[in-house]
Amino acid sequence: MVDFSSQPTMKGFFAPTRFEADVYDCEVTGKIPTDLNGAFVRLGGDWLYPPKFEDDSPFSMDGYINMFRFKNGIVDYKGRWVKTPRFKADLAAHKQLFGKYRNPFTDDPSVHNLDRSVQNTTPLCFAGKLFTLKEDSLPYEIDPKTLETIGPYDFHGKYKSLTFTAHPKVDPVTGEMICYGYEATGLETRDVFLYTIDKTGHVKREVRFQVPYVAMVHDIGLTQKHVLIPVYGFVSSMERLKEGKVHWGWDNTKPAYVGIIPRDGEAKDIRWFKGPSRATVHTLNARTEGEKVILEAAIYDGNPFPFFPPIDGSPWDPTKARAYIRRNTFNLASRDDGFTEEKLFEMNVSDLGRVDDRYLSLPYRYAFTAYGDKQRPFDQWKAGNLGGRVNNCYGRFDLATGKMSSYFAGDTHSLQEVCFVPRKNGAEGEGYVIGVASNYAEMRSELIIADAQHLEDGDVARVLLPFRATAQVHGRWMGEDELPFA
Amino acid sequence: MLTRRDFVAQLAAGAAAVGAFSLAPSAALAADCSASSPAARRPVVSFHMDRPYIDPTGTAMPYRRPIGARSAAAVARLDEGAFRRMQCYA
Repeated sequence: MVDFSSQPTMKGFFAPTRFEADVYDCEVTGKIPTDLNGAFVRLGGDWLYPPKFEDDSPFSMDGYINMFRFKNGIVDYKGRWVKTPRFKADLAAHKQLFGKYRNPFTDDPSVHNLDRSVQNTTPLCFAGKLFTLKEDSLPYEIDPKTLETIGPYDFHGKYKSLTFTAHPKVDPVTGEMICYGYEATGLETRDVFLYTIDKTGHVKREVRFQVPYVAMVHDIGLTQKHVLIPVYGFVSSMERLKEGKVHWGWDNTKPAYVGIIPRDGEAKDIRWFKGPSRATVHTLNARTEGEKVILEAAIYDGNPFPFFPPIDGSPWDPTKARAYIRRNTFNLASRDDGFTEEKLFEMNVSDLGRVDDRYLSLPYRYAFTAYGDKQRPFDQWKAGNLGGRVNNCYGRFDLATGKMSSYFAGDTHSLQEVCFVPRKNGAEGEGYVIGVASNYAEMRSELIIADAQHLEDGDVARVLLPFRATAQVHGRWMGEDELPFA
Repeated sequence: MLTRRDFVAQLAAGAAAVGAFSLAPSAALAADCSASSPAARRPVVSFHMDRPYIDPTGTAMPYRRPIGARSAAAVARLDEGAFRRMQCYA
């Protein structure tokens, strides 16, 4: 018996959808640019069954992969569950067997030793294959034609970490993928395995090292010479798991570290820099300039996630859950283990920012991300009284001039993560800003497509789904030449 | 090309305009007067058996499009912690 009625937050627009879908030749307003050929692939989560514990994290939602397939100005939509062993076990039992986020001690005994990953974070296209990523397990290979789940993937047996990041970096110069796994040898270990995988999908290099404490290492920065490894206050321990808690708690006393290792370096070459308590959950870009290594990211003042509460029992502080685009500069020539921090824009933004991926690891100018503009209208009579708590704009942030241009989605909309699609042979920032908007008035999801150089003009097209698409964590554009789509 | 959604939306907007027109007292009087003249009536979108249809005579009760699903209202009462617990990236 499936019953979500006792879940206080799974209501209205935010109720689970739980179905798989195909929509052929989607309804469109405006005109789909004919140079967009490929797919916008999204990964996120939905609950097949209600969580076993009310205070579990939404990061435990079952993975759901979906794509908007663009071909010659026509868009098809397809959505499928990621059918992991966990999904299949739950479905067979007709109930949720798995407990709290990354805590196997809270599972039903019948599923001990089963892969408990939910594959709900990032889609990846690499070496001609499509993957789903979740940082607690190996990648899962997905059939790009059908979106059906193939299974875990270990790069020809050469990837030895038990886990794989949700944020690998593909070097646009070499085509290599720099990736890693943390808690690489098992739960609560400090081990990180860092890999270089060549563009054909073969492991080229492995470095093993340890982080200063067991912590979330969700994303890294990549330059042409270095890898940057942010470590911040989400902590864990075996005792914590045995007490039945979610994997992470927030320790405000822990300094934020950033480890910097040369791309051709060994474990002994890592240098750890230390700064005030922050959360660098996602990075924008990084670069090496002489002896300086520069990281830019939308960085939180503190703990952004109320479902990973402070370990000292204090209440979660929403005033610290604000992210600002900042620049951290590390001086390799200095003996000091500190670094400088600059706030580049004085506005609170979504930390799910993107850059033109052709400039990843290189000097660049533009960053894109969503934000909420309270000066813009919100029609509460049509959408519901959620004004002020929506991301109603996408911004293009010019890091060279400090200026920002803005796209407004509408007075009943909230935007999910932005994605930038470069125009073929275009200069940096030439292309399209795309992303899914939740339309609270029409109870549907709309894929926004806007010209990145003319955001103020509004969108050039919208793809209208006749239903709510599952919430996205991350989405990626994948070109027609990268994967054998249907 | 006129899509099904645009078709319904446009006709519904037309019907809503007719409805709003009829709410104004002086306009309602004028509408009543014009309604007595078959030549002045306009087609309206109405409903029969849960399906929209166009009444070319203009005499059926016009369909007024819902103002909006207000689908965010269900979670609007949540405090910041509960809201972000639900959808930290919504």
